[in-house]
Amino acid sequence: MHDQANDFMKDYQAFAQQSWDAWMRYLQQQQPGQPNPFGMGMGMGAGAMPQNDLLMRSLASLQAYGNWLQQAAAGTGLGQQSNPWQQPAAMQSFLSAFTQPFQQAVAGIDSASAFGMEHQWQAWLQAMQQAGMAAGMPNSQMATFGITREFQLDQQALQAAMQEYAQINARYQALLQKVNAQGIARLQEMLGKHDEPGKQVESLKALYDLWVDAMEDAYAEMALSEEYRDVFGALVNAQMQVRKLQQQHTEQVCRELGIPTRSEVNSLGKRVQQLRRELKASGHAESTADASLVDSLQAEIASLKHELAASKAAKVHPIERKSKSENSKTPSQRTKATRSAAGKRK
Amino acid sequence: MQNPFHIDPQQAFNEIAIFQRKLAAGLQNLRGLGEQDYANTPREAVYREDKLTVWHMKGNNKPTARVPVLVVYALVNTVWMTDLQEDRSLVRNLLEQGEDVYLVDWGYPDGADRWLTLDDYLNGYLDRAVDAICQRHGLEAINLLGICQGGTFSLCYTAMHPEKVKNLVTMVTPVDFRTPDNMLSHWVQSMDVDLFVDTLGNIPAELMNWVYLMLKPLRLNQQKYVSMVDILDNPAELKNFLRMERWIFDSPDQAGEAFREFIKAFFQQNRLIKGDLQIGKQPVDLGMVTQPVLNIYATQDHLVPPDASRALQRHVGTTDYTELAFKGGHIGIYVSGRAQREVAPSIHQWLRARS
Repeated sequence: MHDQANDFMKDYQAFAQQSWDAWMRYLQQQQPGQPNPFGMGMGMGAGAMPQNDLLMRSLASLQAYGNWLQQAAAGTGLGQQSNPWQQPAAMQSFLSAFTQPFQQAVAGIDSASAFGMEHQWQAWLQAMQQAGMAAGMPNSQMATFGITREFQLDQQALQAAMQEYAQINARYQALLQKVNAQGIARLQEMLGKHDEPGKQVESLKALYDLWVDAMEDAYAEMALSEEYRDVFGALVNAQMQVRKLQQQHTEQVCRELGIPTRSEVNSLGKRVQQLRRELKASGHAESTADASLVDSLQAEIASLKHELAASKAAKVHPIERKSKSENSKTPSQRTKATRSAAGKRK
Repeated sequence: MQNPFHIDPQQAFNEIAIFQRKLAAGLQNLRGLGEQDYANTPREAVYREDKLTVWHMKGNNKPTARVPVLVVYALVNTVWMTDLQEDRSLVRNLLEQGEDVYLVDWGYPDGADRWLTLDDYLNGYLDRAVDAICQRHGLEAINLLGICQGGTFSLCYTAMHPEKVKNLVTMVTPVDFRTPDNMLSHWVQSMDVDLFVDTLGNIPAELMNWVYLMLKPLRLNQQKYVSMVDILDNPAELKNFLRMERWIFDSPDQAGEAFREFIKAFFQQNRLIKGDLQIGKQPVDLGMVTQPVLNIYATQDHLVPPDASRALQRHVGTTDYTELAFKGGHIGIYVSGRAQREVAPSIHQWLRARS
């Protein structure tokens, strides 16, 4: 009977390996620059990263699922006649197989811009070492002096910031580990509702979906906790502090080499934006002023026209009285004619 | 505990074999699929300024609505979620209803946009875009349809320029940024935003993507791709999936200053509902929004919880307030079959009744 279980696992592992190899063969055949079907990671320095690394990262989720299936198949005791659930601690043993996948999934979501900083730091530290700057970073408690005093201070600050980040990151990882534990407990609860005939989990995929539900529930609860909020905030702040100090160091080197720095570009950008705002505002003020000037002139002309028309209507000029035709009219006829002329002018 | 599993070894073996076969078939289907098109509704650029473009969307028939509607999207991701594909397009659906639709496309900020503030975006770009449309139509005011952060922007804009907005529709729009179930908000409360922006400048799109994936790390980063294997043998479904993937990761960076202001004033200080928000030199008082308001939220929204949107009713000045609960999520409200049947027709009917 035991051999049957072993055979199953052997077959399964062969399948999983075959599947993974097939994907990799297919994707390795792709030429660089061809679209990545998963659309992930294309913006994070694809040119600088080996093609295979990008593909591996794109397929990491499927590989993780493959690993998960393997663990699940082993944990559920597939192919074994005896029922492991009747043995004490069998459930615990099964559930413990799922400790790593959650953390692995979270760790897999990184990028140069997010929290995959360790790679960057390692490269940076190596570069520093190659430049002969480090037989180890200076001790942050060491008194500094001499012509390199400022440089030593900067290095001490950077070292302290990196240590701070490492400590907070350890707290963050501990929280994720808690999520693992709580998620497993939740999965155990969920499985407890499936132990009656007819309600049992009948496929590996169904078990996987249940595991995802349990982990996500546990994660959501943690992610909304005050503890997570504080650690997450501290993690972001610590990382930014490291990046800021790295930038300062880079700027110092750039200044020495006569290369424009980001601070200078920022300073220029800020001024340009302010000028653009002022330009827009003055343009708007001018057009508003122009519009109101035109409006007031139009109003004035209309008013003048009105006054003129009114005065013409009210007055009968002496020179007009001398006209024969006018003089021959009766007063009422003259008034009508004037009104009519005024009306035409309008 | 009894055995919760009833997994027959042969059946499990078959399950894995089927998975394997689907993967193999998927290789063939993925080959040559390339990048999927989206945003295929015909359109014309009617206003451009820096990276902003205002698009006039063209339907098969002339619009019957007299007053056009301007869709104001968020600065995160792109407006093309509203026009993902022919049969999943809020825009196309609105056009078919007879609406005259314009879109604000904010573009992709770079270093030159690092210092753009919310004042620049709202009282600058958006205001001039609205003016351009008003001028085209000889109108004093148009309808706004704000989506997500764009809905918040539309509310602010309407409060600051009420004379230019006839009707306001908000979709999945955060108003109360401090509801207990708002995970994004929760995470930024202890962040030093000044240090963050001073260090990063513009906020990289990848970092934004990372944050969104971390809201549901297993579902969004693993389970989704496992499920994809099920559709690898269905080219049409696969194309839809890849199109959505393209949209999800086709994200603009965030202009640093605007991001700083938004996180501080909205997420951390919740000033929009406290009533002490100021954008540029202008106060933003939701009480000034007296236009008719249609507020659409998604009941299963993991990004903007329903309570964050529903808070609008308590703060808005209008007496003509309508709420529409959509049964779905933050993305489903644009692309699901239910959305095609419910959302655009509801918006159109509501606008028509107030034309």
